[in-house]
Amino acid sequence: MISRSKVVIVAALSLCSCLASVSHAQQTQGMTQAVQLIGLAGVKEKTKGKLTVLNGTLRFVYANGNADVATAAIQDVVTGTDSQRVIGGTLGTLTMLAPFGSGRVLSLFRTKLDTLTIQYRDGNGALHGVVFTMPQGEAERIKNELIAQGVHTSITAQANQTKTPAAAAQKL
Amino acid sequence: MKVNFRYAIVCSLSLALSFSGPTLRAKENPQVKMKADAIQVKMIQADRITLPAEFQVSLYENLITQLEKRNVFKRVYRDGDQTSDASPNLIVLQCAVQKFEKGSEKMRQVTTVAGATSITLRCQFRDKDGNSFLERDIAGKVRFFGGNLNATYDFAKKAANVAAENFSTIAEHR
Repeated sequence: MISRSKVVIVAALSLCSCLASVSHAQQTQGMTQAVQLIGLAGVKEKTKGKLTVLNGTLRFVYANGNADVATAAIQDVVTGTDSQRVIGGTLGTLTMLAPFGSGRVLSLFRTKLDTLTIQYRDGNGALHGVVFTMPQGEAERIKNELIAQGVHTSITAQANQTKTPAAAAQKL
Repeated sequence: MKVNFRYAIVCSLSLALSFSGPTLRAKENPQVKMKADAIQVKMIQADRITLPAEFQVSLYENLITQLEKRNVFKRVYRDGDQTSDASPNLIVLQCAVQKFEKGSEKMRQVTTVAGATSITLRCQFRDKDGNSFLERDIAGKVRFFGGNLNATYDFAKKAANVAAENFSTIAEHR
């Protein structure tokens, strides 16, 4: 027979583990896996990290530190779409040498990506541009968070995402 | 037999001279470079062409990176940088997209021959007052390997080469 106290302990432990996982999920909810393709000062191209909007700052956290852009300095935020090979990098290049064109077949397996492009000005008024890629659906969420903090976008969610900010402004 | 051998030598000599001639002449008349201490890169214009925002920003950022790498100018300023006003011999680089063809990375990887991305920009080097020094159409392409945005890197490298061929921090004379 299992004693009543043991059952209570097991139930309490399982409840604690559930609560812990929920709080962890809440902590990581705002963080989005992203790749900084180009533009952030002091960050190498194609650096992997996490992107979050926190207290009026767009923060990119990567292995060697953080890069912050104040949302007040952001002039424009635009989202787009792209795709990449499931097997990428050096291994992806090596698969191109695989026999009977099997490497080419592997190129057909792709994952969809979102791109997030921002333009901001630094203290001297100099214009900077940054391009991020992230999993599908995440760019729109970050864009909405930025818009909620007062960031301007030249292309609304309903408009065609492939148009340039300049072209969109002309149409308006 | 001897005559044939002589003809062969004469022919090969004349061929070699015809190829080396233009090179030698080019060395005799090196291109005169204009003096410029600093350059300010304006944001890429794409008023008439539908260009994705990531391409526009990538062109701009790659152009700045490549100009800094080539070390032609003492300073490379960004669009709107207020500190550029004090810089002597400042030239302004304005590029406008003339043609854009977005290819497909998937198509390139599967077929090798199809799906190239190409972008052509008209680059204008001007002084502060807007007088044009130099105007060139420069193209960036990605044909085989890499993502579509690699075309912007290709363009930036070529544009930096054009700047290096035509400008210097020291005035040159013939």
